[in-house]
Amino acid sequence: MRSSINRRKFLTGVAVGTTALTAGALRPRTAAAAASSYPDWIPASPKPPKRGGTLTRASAWDPPVLDPRLTQSIGLFQFVGHTSSRLVRYAFPEEATGVTDPTLKGDLAESWQASPDHRTWTFKLRQGVKWQNVPPLNGRELVAADVKYCFEAYAKEGVQSFTFREIEGIETPDKYTLRVHLHTPNVLFPHNVAECVTVIFSREVLEEDGDLKKRLIGTGPYILKEHTRKVRLALTRNPDYFDKGRPYVDELVILSTPDFATRLAAFRTGQSDILQVASPSEVETVRKTNPAAVVQTYKNVLAPFGLALAQDKPPFSDLRVRRAISMSIDRQKQVDTVFEGHGIPGWGVPYMYYQDKAPTLAELGPWWQYRPAEAKKLLAEAGHPNGFETTLFYYEYWPQMTSQVQIVQQELKKNLNINVKITKLDYTTYYGRYVEGKWDGMAWGFQSGHAVGLDERTYMYLHSKSTKNFFRVNDSVIDELTVKLRRTPDRAEQAKITKKIVDRELDQVLRMWMPYDGGFLIYQPNVRNMAALALRRPDGYGSPTVARLWLDK
Amino acid sequence: MQKYVIRRLLLAIPVLVLSSLIVFGLMRVMPGDALVALMGESGNVGERELKKLRKDLGLDRPYHEQYLIWVWQMVSLNPGDSIFTNEPIPVALKKSIPVTLELATLALILGLAIAIPVGVLSATRQDKPADYVGRVVAVSGLSFPDFWLGTLVITFAAIWFRWIPPLGYVSIWDDPWRNLQQFLLPAAVLGFRLSAATMRMTRSTVLEVLREDYVRTAWAKGLAGRMVVYKHALKNALIPVVTIVGGQLGTLLAGTVVVETIFALPGMGRLTVEAILYRDYPVVQTNVMLVAGVLVTLNLLVDLTYALLDPRIRYR
Repeated sequence: MRSSINRRKFLTGVAVGTTALTAGALRPRTAAAAASSYPDWIPASPKPPKRGGTLTRASAWDPPVLDPRLTQSIGLFQFVGHTSSRLVRYAFPEEATGVTDPTLKGDLAESWQASPDHRTWTFKLRQGVKWQNVPPLNGRELVAADVKYCFEAYAKEGVQSFTFREIEGIETPDKYTLRVHLHTPNVLFPHNVAECVTVIFSREVLEEDGDLKKRLIGTGPYILKEHTRKVRLALTRNPDYFDKGRPYVDELVILSTPDFATRLAAFRTGQSDILQVASPSEVETVRKTNPAAVVQTYKNVLAPFGLALAQDKPPFSDLRVRRAISMSIDRQKQVDTVFEGHGIPGWGVPYMYYQDKAPTLAELGPWWQYRPAEAKKLLAEAGHPNGFETTLFYYEYWPQMTSQVQIVQQELKKNLNINVKITKLDYTTYYGRYVEGKWDGMAWGFQSGHAVGLDERTYMYLHSKSTKNFFRVNDSVIDELTVKLRRTPDRAEQAKITKKIVDRELDQVLRMWMPYDGGFLIYQPNVRNMAALALRRPDGYGSPTVARLWLDK
Repeated sequence: MQKYVIRRLLLAIPVLVLSSLIVFGLMRVMPGDALVALMGESGNVGERELKKLRKDLGLDRPYHEQYLIWVWQMVSLNPGDSIFTNEPIPVALKKSIPVTLELATLALILGLAIAIPVGVLSATRQDKPADYVGRVVAVSGLSFPDFWLGTLVITFAAIWFRWIPPLGYVSIWDDPWRNLQQFLLPAAVLGFRLSAATMRMTRSTVLEVLREDYVRTAWAKGLAGRMVVYKHALKNALIPVVTIVGGQLGTLLAGTVVVETIFALPGMGRLTVEAILYRDYPVVQTNVMLVAGVLVTLNLLVDLTYALLDPRIRYR
């Protein structure tokens, strides 16, 4: 049988195929171009808010327990900000001047003031704040002794203890005054008690149950009505909430939906009101079926992930080795390919604390540029002209991470002849090994996702004595600067010190940040005042921002 | 037969003991523990606190002690609490078993409802278009993995029909219609997979039986085609089919893990996988033992079913 393909047909086929492949290859760029048209800030609606309705969100997370002393899991803190208040909080979207506004507002506290030496902080509480009208609290008034009890319980045991152990003692001179004495001066202390994980829980529940694993009663805008593990969380409006008239939405429902395809389908069919997607092409896919959906580009103010090196041991204790590794990694390539042109090259301290605009790759300094020839030379100077063998372990938080890990492995081999043996772990193994801090070689490291405050992002994560210093930074200059920052009340001066910390970190390559993209938030068109703020998305640790949201139905 | 059943039940004991040792050992070999998972991304827990929590949970005891305590708890039908959630395990099982049971039962019904008629049709129309269609369906069922099929089904249901099963599980007793909507698609996905092997087995055994003398005799007697196929041929062809269905029940239980995740159903599969990820030893161990017990029982039931299908079979 003769073939029916002649030369002309073959060439036509090749031409069509090439065109299709080219179109396919260009697609991410096209999607990225479309993505760049989405705003990173959605201003508050000028319309008067409407009361009522149910806001539903299909969520990847499920709370392991309801006890905020025992976990910092995103599964718990995706809704604890609804049920419970903090002493102070960060601005909600409708109050903020923009996405990076880190202004503090009073939550349970009306005002707060430091002593001249910043070792004593006095918080004046709102009067008439009631606990939710649920037994055993039954709507009794919240007083300063409640906050004192709660802070002391946090310091006593659990995952928040490091933050609260800087408290030397607490006084309650009257029902509405709380005086906190610190071991050392800290001008940023209010920021630490504004983090979403520092909610005020009730004394009665802890005393009756011995823990807070089953009941969570607070003073927040919503009452926890139902928690069925792996099914749903339902929260109903608290009619006694101290911020009169709020919240606007009657019911919040969080549906446990571990699979992304299902969350996407739920959004498409209107079963979910908020969706997070990772890439520009995914946004375009959603827009095909839901053209009226509102898209916000999530503003990245830092990269939470990077290459963590066992820098307290050779060969990574040698600065030249760290610099060489950093220069052998093409970060722009990762941004262009893995993140489809939509991402940041990576840094660790939120830039809004030291400059107005996000740093460019060039601004990160010489050791962060892709210069493989210089990298090889530097590694040879450090005594490794033929490279070396090492290991890297990681947990795949999302599929793009595996691509990044593999790119780094290839580049280290190609540019420096460093052979990296990769081990992909499950979350528990990864987390246990990583935070224990005794591993050798390299890890794909992280810094915690919940923190907005400058103290958490500098002193807590970088000081050599901090238990949250996962990247094993041990630098006397950084130690000195982070302590100095805690003693500097002037904002302009704080910005200068923060910049020095960042410059030192980048120069010494203490944490080798990798490109990152927070992706996009997509909302149903009738959701108002939902803008995601930097480090405060409305679906995770930043969920308290949902308190001011309303539905235009 | 009574002796046979007793002997089989006694034989189940070493199987269950071995299973318990394997699952207990594997969980201890895995790095990390429940406390680490529970802490989330905090890292600010001192060694002192971790030690205290480990002691409170009995995780600091020697392994043989932990094993014996657990076995005693299992024997006394009190498997303890989840380390991760503090929830008593029987409570968690009471919530998740009905979900998996309903899903597996529906999948089995759908799977058999597809497999047996199509298998018989394929056999009676051998090498005809209906046979080819049946065989293609069967091979597809064997080739498509659950996660792929489930994802495809939910994605295209959303795009084409603007509908997916309502999220947020409700019990069949609370809202039967909503419950049915939630289970139909996942059961169809699982059932389709299950039907593939059964369909192929039904086809080949029916083909074989159709060539037997007694079937020829039935035709010669002038019996109606339906009577010959369903009464004389199918019943005798069912023993291998029952064997393969029994064998596939384990696969069905494994399939529920993926399908429950995709369709957000809070069944045994999700409970077990999460417990493994969080190193929730008591939950994993109890679930594995429960599944082992179910499989042992099902295998026994399958063996006993043979006698119902073929009276010539005797148990000694």
